[in-house]
Amino acid sequence: MTSRGWGQLRSRKKTTSIFRSEVMSLVQLYIPSDVARYTVAQLGEMGLIQFRDLNQDVSAFQRSFVGDVRRFDEIERKLRYLQSKIVESDVDLYDFLDNEFISAARGPRDIDEMEETVNAHEGRVLRLTAAYKEMQLTHVELVENKHVLEEVSSLFTEITGRQSTAPTAHGSTSGPLDSVPLLGRTDTMASRRSIGSMDAARGELAFDAEIGGMSVGRDINIGFITGVISRDRISTLERVLWRSLRGNMFLNYVDIEEPISDPRHDEPVYKSAFIVFAHGETLRDRATKIAESLGATLYRVDPSAERRQEELIDTMSRLDDLSQILENNRVARINELTSVSEQINTWFTVVRKEKAVYHALNLFNYDSNRNCLIAEGWCATNDIPAIQSALHVATEDAGSNVPTVLQELRTTKEPPTFVRTNRFTEGFQNIVDAYGVPKAGEVNPGLFTVITFPFLFALMFGDLGHGFLMTLCAALLCYYEKRLSWMAKDESLRMFYSGRYIVLLMGIFSMFTGFLYNDIFSRAMAPFASGWRWPTDAGGEGVVVEATKLGHTYPVGIDPAWHHASNSLLFTNSYKMKMSIVLGVIHMTLGICLQVPNALHFKKRINIIHVFVPQIIFLFSIFGYLVFAIILKWSTDWYARDAAGELTHISPPSLLNMLIYMFLRPGSVNESERMFSGQAFLQTLLLLTALVCVPWMLLVKPLILRNEHRKIVSEGYGRISSHVRVSTEADGMAGAVVLSEQEEMQADDFDFAEIMINQSIHTIEFCLNSISNTASYLRLWALSLAHAQLSEVLWSMIFQPTLKMSGALQPVAIMFGFAVWFTLTFCILIGMEGLSAFLHALRLHWVEFNNKFYDGTGVKFEPFSFKAVLDEADEQ
Amino acid sequence: MNEIYFNIDAGYLEGIVRGYRDGLITAPQYMNLTQCETMDDLKLQLATTDYASFLQNEPSPLATSTLSARCTEALVAEFQYMQQNAAEPISKFLDYITYGYMIDNVILLITGTLHERDTHDLLEKCHPLGFFDTMPALCVATTVQDLYSTVLVDSPLAGYFRECLSAEDLNELNIEIIRNTLYKAYLEDFYSYCQSLGEPTGSVMAELLRFEADRRTVNITINSFGTELSKDDRAKLYPRLGNMYPEAQTKLARVDDMDQVKSILEQYSEYKIMLAGVSMNASSSGGNSSGDLSLEDRFFAKEVQLNKESFEQQFHFGVFYSWLRLKEQEIRNIVWIAECISQQQKDKVNNYTAIY
Repeated sequence: MTSRGWGQLRSRKKTTSIFRSEVMSLVQLYIPSDVARYTVAQLGEMGLIQFRDLNQDVSAFQRSFVGDVRRFDEIERKLRYLQSKIVESDVDLYDFLDNEFISAARGPRDIDEMEETVNAHEGRVLRLTAAYKEMQLTHVELVENKHVLEEVSSLFTEITGRQSTAPTAHGSTSGPLDSVPLLGRTDTMASRRSIGSMDAARGELAFDAEIGGMSVGRDINIGFITGVISRDRISTLERVLWRSLRGNMFLNYVDIEEPISDPRHDEPVYKSAFIVFAHGETLRDRATKIAESLGATLYRVDPSAERRQEELIDTMSRLDDLSQILENNRVARINELTSVSEQINTWFTVVRKEKAVYHALNLFNYDSNRNCLIAEGWCATNDIPAIQSALHVATEDAGSNVPTVLQELRTTKEPPTFVRTNRFTEGFQNIVDAYGVPKAGEVNPGLFTVITFPFLFALMFGDLGHGFLMTLCAALLCYYEKRLSWMAKDESLRMFYSGRYIVLLMGIFSMFTGFLYNDIFSRAMAPFASGWRWPTDAGGEGVVVEATKLGHTYPVGIDPAWHHASNSLLFTNSYKMKMSIVLGVIHMTLGICLQVPNALHFKKRINIIHVFVPQIIFLFSIFGYLVFAIILKWSTDWYARDAAGELTHISPPSLLNMLIYMFLRPGSVNESERMFSGQAFLQTLLLLTALVCVPWMLLVKPLILRNEHRKIVSEGYGRISSHVRVSTEADGMAGAVVLSEQEEMQADDFDFAEIMINQSIHTIEFCLNSISNTASYLRLWALSLAHAQLSEVLWSMIFQPTLKMSGALQPVAIMFGFAVWFTLTFCILIGMEGLSAFLHALRLHWVEFNNKFYDGTGVKFEPFSFKAVLDEADEQ
Repeated sequence: MNEIYFNIDAGYLEGIVRGYRDGLITAPQYMNLTQCETMDDLKLQLATTDYASFLQNEPSPLATSTLSARCTEALVAEFQYMQQNAAEPISKFLDYITYGYMIDNVILLITGTLHERDTHDLLEKCHPLGFFDTMPALCVATTVQDLYSTVLVDSPLAGYFRECLSAEDLNELNIEIIRNTLYKAYLEDFYSYCQSLGEPTGSVMAELLRFEADRRTVNITINSFGTELSKDDRAKLYPRLGNMYPEAQTKLARVDDMDQVKSILEQYSEYKIMLAGVSMNASSSGGNSSGDLSLEDRFFAKEVQLNKESFEQQFHFGVFYSWLRLKEQEIRNIVWIAECISQQQKDKVNNYTAIY
């Protein structure tokens, strides 16, 4: 174990690139207990170190700082409560963050103060809310009572109204009419009549009125109950009452117009006031019970109109008073909540940070002898100075003079992979990480992806116009990236936002390939003079004309003259097909070559000589030769004539046939397809080389490994390392507490059969893949063809006809046609075609490129960082 | 049930319910729960489960009753979500599941009224899944006739109640009889409804309901020892389905003690394994002997196993029923563990029925 000083650390500093992941160090921190919180907070702000869990076998609630975690959980709960109240009372939430408090070192006293304040606020809000609820209950009661009084009065008036119209034959008055029929509790003859139904009840009342008119004081005994019930229950109430009283009742109800906000429910409830007439004490009791059990609130209403009036006035005045109090309470509450809302975001942030700190502290080991915490974690070796200074700052913040000690540990553990990315490379690295995170030290394909990905995409998406629109959109995203950062939070827009630089490059490259393909919205451009001339005099439908070749070649890209030629498809297909193969072979060669830096880094020479070399020879002897033939065919003028006017070449050969017959009939080339002299011999030679490579790849490496292993065993070293771990280093270590933890043993049991099987699978896979992968690159041609054809169709079917129209409607048609054409171009050609080309480019990288060299079995480096913690909390 | 069309209406809900199933607490989580020292620890552990959002705003210290209430709330919320998203015939199937809770609620209310408990307390104790709108009015009913004609007549239970109308007055025994008669009618109806849904719902539910029927049969038998219930009446309470119907039921109707029950049960291979090591006396005395599992626990374990098996098949509604049963078992487990922790009876804490 060596601990290095500052100078050494700095001298080891390497320039960082994304070619390989960062060099990582396993560091151990000895943090004195009293500065632990400050230290971890400081490290959390920086987000440079990933702590290892040193208490894996301790369950969550047995860890040392679980009490603190719980304390902040509790504060967070209170804050959530306050926040819900703020939202409930429509108080504005301030976005304000007290940066000083959030990012500065917070002493325990600051935290205590904050907790105190939160508690005080919560207590006050709780009290106010409780008081409010209590008063609200009274309020609801009064409101309901008021409604009952009003509605019942109206019911009474209705009934008495009918009564007064009933003939009072004898003209004798019997006191206030409205109170007569329903008053009294004395048993009378009339009361014994059962009242059958509602109609019957009314009839009865009218009848009783007559009786009442005849004989003063013979009041009938129909008692009633009144109350309020939520509106959807009223039919149930009526039904149940009807059944249980066997119809001996009369229920009437009036809907209360405005909803009543009942504190027992979350939302205001619509209610109805009802009155039930039933005669007899038992039945009334029964009705009361039923109504109450169904959730009705019953109110006593006096039968006499004057008393009711008095009661109503009384209720109203009490209601007024209460409303006043409620309003005061509300104002007080809102004031309280407003003062909370200014701070609540700050508090939330602080609480979440503190909680994260204690969660991190729970990962540490406690050394009671030295009264310090021992933390272990991964960090980039380059970041160690930054961490050192952070530790220093934290010690100062805490006002302590015992420094935190940082020690690098030597370890055989696989470090997490940390690829330092920036805004630009992040998106590309994500593409690679989606396939697999690079192993530490492994070549990171992310670097190459930055260029090859947009390029392969552009080969399939080659159109200057479409590329320009895409570039424009991406450029806007990049230019306003700060202002548009909200997009990163939206699930569906996040994809575009985080990939904005990829899209930008894809757009620029598409413009380039579009220029080469000479396509702008499927139209041709002629920036240079064409190498062909069309005859001017020929014309008419169906007449085939031939362009004559001029003396010069079109300087860059495809000649615009091809665009309207009837054999343009033949030409572009053959061109793009060959181009795909050439680029594909180059791309795969790059992939195979990347094995070399990998092998050098992991010090495995065997991988260069017996894996890389045969592979590259195999690929080149077959597909390298194909590429050579393609280029040869391109650069030969097949129609050149010699001085005698004879064709110098026989005819352009078919390369596909050439490749096939190279395998089927080695050693002979059809005379009509011969490209150069000695072709047959060369092909045989190449074929033999390729064939030799197969057993080379298959057998040599395993055999060498076996020999080496045998040598080790014969010298007597075998199997020692796998069972006995000779650890001389750890003995001298002072704080060996942590290291004593068992490191996983490297399994190095040698199993020849397994290696052989692996190797044969690899070999077969490589040979088959070199064929299938090359063919797979033909998708570059296929998609490019599809894209060009689709945009051609869109142009000629939708927009072009409007240009050929004549008459007054043409401007309208052009406008309309353009709108449709542009929308479709944008949605289908740029949106959907873009996505499909993206996917195919992705596949070419993941499958065709990565499988040549890339393991992608690493684990991502996830440093302890407040930013991540807060982002996560925000997302919830 | 045609597999081709199954997913049109039921695909979403099946996905949901299988997701819910995956949220059930697993054995390692139970291990963690049982290691808790205080209710706060338990709350912390539960924060990683589906109950988190129902518990997070509860102030400490947490009472067992609150815990139980919150857990039930979670269950109800999930079930109601499914009910709200259900189309025919799943909605009908889910309704059928709730009828069982309605029966429990009805009996609870009648018993409570008989003992003159406060109506509102009783209503709070009712299972929310078994609520129907005229239910609160049960507390005024004093006779069976009353019960039926005022309250139950338009509840879904009306059909089941027909057979109970002969009972005259409400007393403890009669209420028990009513409960069992209702449940018997319910089970039979549910069974025939499931059969009408076709395969594979029919066969999956048949298995589950047969087990339920068997369990009820055994329980009725055991509970009727030493009561006034005549043996003929006892036979009438047995659901007319199940693995033990009709042969073993006729035998069970005549037995007088636990040993006879045991010997009858042992003729059925699936129950024989279950019975091994069960002290039959323990279950009759309430299952208090520690360590040894009571018959009731064995039945629960068997039920859990059957319900887990129903998830092995697709394209049937049995998963909804099974999930609810498993979730209920889980809540029982959590409450049991919580009780053990709060009463400092850690030696009994492992007597829960693990699910996954």
